[in-house]
Amino acid sequence: MTEAFVQIIIFGILIGALYGLAALGLSMVFGVTKILNIAHGELIMLGGYASFWLFRLVGLDPFISLPLTMLIMAVVGLVLYKLLFVRTVKLPEEEKIKNTMLIGFGLTLILQNIALILWTADDRGITTAYSGQVFTVLNIRFPIVRVAGFAVALICLLSLHLFLRKTYTGKAIRATVEDWEAAALMGINIQQVYMLSFVLGAALAGVAGALVSVTFSIDPSMGMHWTLKALIVMVLGGLGSIAGTFAGGILLGATESATAFLIGGNYREVIGLLLFLLVLIFRPQGLLGAKER
Amino acid sequence: MARIQLLLVAVVVILLACLPLVIEKDSTLNLLVLILLFIIMASSWNILGGFTGQTSLGHAAFFGLGSLATRLLWIQGFPLLPSLLAGGGLAVVFALVIGIPAFKLKGVYFAIGTLALGQILFVTVGNLFPTISALPVEALRTYQLAPRYYLFLVLTILTVGFAYLLANSRVGLGMMAVREDEDAAEALGVNARRHKLLALVFSAFLAGMAGSAFAYYHVSYYYQFPFAPIWSFDTLTMVYIGGQGTIIGPIVGAIFFVLLREFLVLNVGEYHLIVFGVLFILVVLFLPGGFVEAWEKIRNLLVRRRSKRDRNASTTA
Amino acid sequence: MMKKRLSFLILIAILLSMVLTGCAPATEEPAPPEPAPAEEEPVAEEPAEEEPAPPPPAPEFIEIGASIPMTGKFGSLGNMVLPGYEYAVAAINADGGIYVEEYDAKIPVRFTYYDDESDPTKAVSKLETLYADQDVTVYLGGAGSAMHAAASAIAEKNQVPYCGIAFALYEIHQQGYQYLFSPFPKSPDMARDVYEYVNANVPEGERPTKVAIFAYNTDWGKELGGLWEDNAAEYGYEVVVREETPLAPDNDYTDAILKAKAAGAEMLLSMPIFPDGSGMFKTMAELDWAPKFALVIRAPEGVNWGESMGTIGEYVTIFPGWHHGADFPGVDELNAVYEADFGRPADLLTGPAYACVQIVAAAIESAGTLDRAAVRDAMAATDLETVMGRVTFNEDGTGNVWNPLIQWLNGALELVVPEDHATAEFFYPAPPFGER
Repeated sequence: MTEAFVQIIIFGILIGALYGLAALGLSMVFGVTKILNIAHGELIMLGGYASFWLFRLVGLDPFISLPLTMLIMAVVGLVLYKLLFVRTVKLPEEEKIKNTMLIGFGLTLILQNIALILWTADDRGITTAYSGQVFTVLNIRFPIVRVAGFAVALICLLSLHLFLRKTYTGKAIRATVEDWEAAALMGINIQQVYMLSFVLGAALAGVAGALVSVTFSIDPSMGMHWTLKALIVMVLGGLGSIAGTFAGGILLGATESATAFLIGGNYREVIGLLLFLLVLIFRPQGLLGAKER
Repeated sequence: MARIQLLLVAVVVILLACLPLVIEKDSTLNLLVLILLFIIMASSWNILGGFTGQTSLGHAAFFGLGSLATRLLWIQGFPLLPSLLAGGGLAVVFALVIGIPAFKLKGVYFAIGTLALGQILFVTVGNLFPTISALPVEALRTYQLAPRYYLFLVLTILTVGFAYLLANSRVGLGMMAVREDEDAAEALGVNARRHKLLALVFSAFLAGMAGSAFAYYHVSYYYQFPFAPIWSFDTLTMVYIGGQGTIIGPIVGAIFFVLLREFLVLNVGEYHLIVFGVLFILVVLFLPGGFVEAWEKIRNLLVRRRSKRDRNASTTA
Repeated sequence: MMKKRLSFLILIAILLSMVLTGCAPATEEPAPPEPAPAEEEPVAEEPAEEEPAPPPPAPEFIEIGASIPMTGKFGSLGNMVLPGYEYAVAAINADGGIYVEEYDAKIPVRFTYYDDESDPTKAVSKLETLYADQDVTVYLGGAGSAMHAAASAIAEKNQVPYCGIAFALYEIHQQGYQYLFSPFPKSPDMARDVYEYVNANVPEGERPTKVAIFAYNTDWGKELGGLWEDNAAEYGYEVVVREETPLAPDNDYTDAILKAKAAGAEMLLSMPIFPDGSGMFKTMAELDWAPKFALVIRAPEGVNWGESMGTIGEYVTIFPGWHHGADFPGVDELNAVYEADFGRPADLLTGPAYACVQIVAAAIESAGTLDRAAVRDAMAATDLETVMGRVTFNEDGTGNVWNPLIQWLNGALELVVPEDHATAEFFYPAPPFGER
């Protein structure tokens, strides 16, 4: 009984890391640029397909091909930014959130249906030689794929953290978040910071997509589901907090799994959302978010 | 001038009221019903999101609750009118329950919080009522579209009329003051929380009534369906694209959205959603404030040009 | 004030344009979006030239319409159904069409379909459009019980005969609908046959007597899950785990699988949609629970299951109503045209879809008219040899049809029961995941 419970919570945490990763890119983009990209789930979908085709056509292992997937998605992000989102950066914040949401809405339709025409409605997934293999610690099973996914998510989190703390560009990004007008006066190229953040967010979506395709499966209409999850996790963790986003993902994943165990699968999502609302009522700025300025 | 306006509105209403007598095709009436439905949804969302500035992503919850209460009662043989009102009533009850805690949240947090609320209802209703709700065979055989259309028409007129009156009332001005600056409004003696709650209740009731009408209109659907998040997204999108905070904006947005989509479905086939997405983004990029703002810009431009021309004319003369 | 007046003017203008656009189709008769060109070529014009006999002038086409989920969660099923309809219509039209006695002419079929995006409400509105604009004689169904449950009510309301496959929901047939026909195995068949087939093929003592049921909390899920449970004892089985989950792409089956494993379950009965089913089986592999026999309806029906799941997806069995290896007249021809387009024999749901059109065509011919009520009566009296064998209908519109068991073996879908059609031998027991 307890062993089963521990097993279930471990799986929940491993899934939760994926939620966190899915939200990381969204949160990063929103935090820096105030672009609310509700087509983030579609970027995850495209990342998943990139990984899938690299596996199917070239035989590249989805974990090996991660840098390539990120690169592909970074290019996609760059194109989308230059083509569409760059036109919104000068709008006042509220207008910008609104308009980017609308652009995102149009984009979901376009990307979904392009994927559909190119790759059909069939669901796809990656099954590697080590899929289903596990290592066991104290009778608890740790699937290699999920643990590797967790590690990748953790690496993304840490590198992003280091990037923002240690590099000049990262500091420029943080300065922009703090106060973009002051940052601009200090000689930081805001336009470039915005573009970089968006591209980074797309690359992170690519990583999430690759992990989804190897842990679950992908199809052209999967985006909405992941956007909803990512939005919830982003707010649960607290806007602008990288660590919070990750923690929020893990908390949500663990709660969902515990619910499936204690109450039953039917209310898994509901309890997760209730927890989310409770956190918000007592900490309206999210788990690790800063107070609203 | 007010008289001309009134006259025009009356003409439109009479025209719409006569339509079922002229139109033989159910598909056309169905399309009109869909447009009216979304005008109600968009206008009701606009009271909360546009007038009061509280962007909700959970509007589907009210729509769904309205449809749920009405469908359950009406199919069990309750008279129609009380069943319909029960739908709006349930939505209001829910609004009152969630109102106080929900308004602790601001901005994006409020938006995502309401999204979560909507999602909770969506899943829960799916769990509690997993079976399809189809009209019984006898009801199917005697189904008439025209009364449904009129119900939607009446509700639309009431909703738009109410929004118009509200926008010009003291309460409505208070709501807009809250939208512009909550603290400043409080300082001027506007009770922000009460105004927000009131906006939520109005918005919920009207969306609930749209749901009630949907329950009366629709032949067969899953109870869960009207709770789907897409109802919230579509509604919000229509308001934004039409013009937030105006009376006409949600109407224009709803008509544009539904007609364009339907036109493309029938004419572009496989690619219809891609074309829709592209057109949609183009509209957003080139008319960032929605149709109403774009129209005002054009009008200002015309007026300025005309006055300039007039001035030029007078100087040369 | 000026501003307000102008806004009202826009309102008027837009409402007017709305009215006009609304009316437009009435006069314009928009062209259907997807009339496959091949189907229109053989417009049979000879009948019109014949001597001026009593029969009234024949309509140009027999209109048949469908709303199919080509995208969304039932999209992969819809993509198997559509070609079945299209090939069958093409075959009929290549022959000049369907002979209708009333007009003493062969009339070609025009098939119009819309994508309903797996949204039951859109399906309903598409069917209304087909009825109003195309004036369809017959509806063909989409795929998935939830879609059919919503759509069949429209058929009943408009009194248009409706032939639907790829759904096993039995309950919808018990509402007194007169126009709903479904030549497809239903829940009671599936709940009986699974035990009978295993008993017939596995000697007593080796049978997987402990059963785990993972079923959705939907009308079909409850129906079939309940029947599986009810029937178990009669055939010598015991249900040790029954897990209910919502119809979602990402259910977490960890708990259910651990329970099944702990209870020693050896048989899995389930009906997941693809993403959910693939998650279920990956988790089963990770937790090392390999049931000796698994009946998984829906997720493994497409060839993408094998491609995506590899050995984890092996040995799974399905009740899809058909298989390209079936030994019935017309199957080879269907496979040939399918192979030419897709590079593989026809998919599982393509056959039943093809059969649907065969049934409809035969009914129209035997009714001798395009009157919908007459066509309905003719459909009810169907007794036809189709690509899925002989089909007759019961009072409630359910079909008396063949229910083959299909199994994933060596990365391919093989027909394993009944033996006289089998393309491979039923494999039992499925080995543990580590030994595949």
